[in-house]
Amino acid sequence: METDDRALMRRVARRDDAAFAEVVGRYGGRLLAVAGRLLSSRADAEDAVQRTLLHCFAGAASYRPEWAVSTWLYRILTNICMDELRRRVTRATHDPELPLELTPRDGREPGDDVDLRRALERVPREARVLLALRYVNGLSYGELARVRGISVNTVKSQLARGKALLRAELGKRGVLR
Amino acid sequence: MIDTRRSDRVDDLLTSYFRPGETPSALLSRVVRAARATDAELVALEKRLSIEVTPRGVSLIREAPLARPATAAARRLEERAREELVEYFQGKRAFFSVPVDLSETPEFQRRVLDVARTIPFGEARRYAWIAEQIGHPRAVRAVGTALGRNPVPIIVPCHRVWRTDGGLGGYLFGLPYKRRLLELERSTPVLEGCTSTRIVCRVGCIHGRHMRPDNRVVFASVDDARSVGYRPCKVCKPSAAA
Repeated sequence: METDDRALMRRVARRDDAAFAEVVGRYGGRLLAVAGRLLSSRADAEDAVQRTLLHCFAGAASYRPEWAVSTWLYRILTNICMDELRRRVTRATHDPELPLELTPRDGREPGDDVDLRRALERVPREARVLLALRYVNGLSYGELARVRGISVNTVKSQLARGKALLRAELGKRGVLR
Repeated sequence: MIDTRRSDRVDDLLTSYFRPGETPSALLSRVVRAARATDAELVALEKRLSIEVTPRGVSLIREAPLARPATAAARRLEERAREELVEYFQGKRAFFSVPVDLSETPEFQRRVLDVARTIPFGEARRYAWIAEQIGHPRAVRAVGTALGRNPVPIIVPCHRVWRTDGGLGGYLFGLPYKRRLLELERSTPVLEGCTSTRIVCRVGCIHGRHMRPDNRVVFASVDDARSVGYRPCKVCKPSAAA
């Protein structure tokens, strides 16, 4: 799978549409799951994934094989999601009528858990992104560190802190006994 | 992989919450289509622009040819403005550091433009909002006129001001460009850290220029970056911006 992935990226760099479709098929769902949970909006998540894949297609020539393709894609995706989250904060402080995590959800989605979603919104962004990557794809501490450009120790402390906050929030909501 | 021996209720909840779904096939075709479309228009606009400078800063940007800079200092200033515009159009700059000279601009218009300059990168405000900010809430039309005659478009971001009903209003370079500029700003990040120096900068900072693409990590705030071990750049001072 690993070497296969890298060969695939070489073909994408040569503008091979079938190879690109393969990348999208392989990673689209996971990218969408991470983005959807981070941005709490189907439309924004699809936009983020679309931009990630565009970047993958246009930047395939600059892809360097020391990166696992998945790690590389998650770096691009989380960069885009983080900027989207930044924009929501500045929008919200400017316009106090808008709720903080404001994009309206387009209906309930399968697997959506309102309590967990609300609790996750209380977790600081950096920890939230690490939790999403870890639970969507089971990324290792090393991979998480690479995706966010931080040390493995920081990954561990952020995850621990995020989970402690989640546990406390869920406890408050009576989800955990 | 997640160590299942230590998994607990929170792990179970998270695992089911983050279970990936299917990739909608519509997404794939959209991406392929978008990848084929090139964004040459904005680059073409940049090439058509002329820049006029005074010793104090950029005083005029228009599509028509303008006076050439008279002194070496003015030439340097013009080059700097040009460079920043090129980076902006390439999605590599989220702020302008080149000074602007609005001293020849009438008082009312200058106040309007000064307020427009406070609108954050990638965001939009309404004409009425500017009118309120300058203490003339009923002067919405005059605000529109003042912005329409903006001597330094793009650097003074009049394209971030729209009509109250969500309509575009007008734009010096034509309405399609107004929309395109906001789209460009929406896809340009504002804060990025370098994974090797662990310094966070505003996108466009001189320190970021030689950063390898692989080393770029985007943050939602300077505090976020600090919380994971990054420190703010002393040159571009990202805390003041965000």
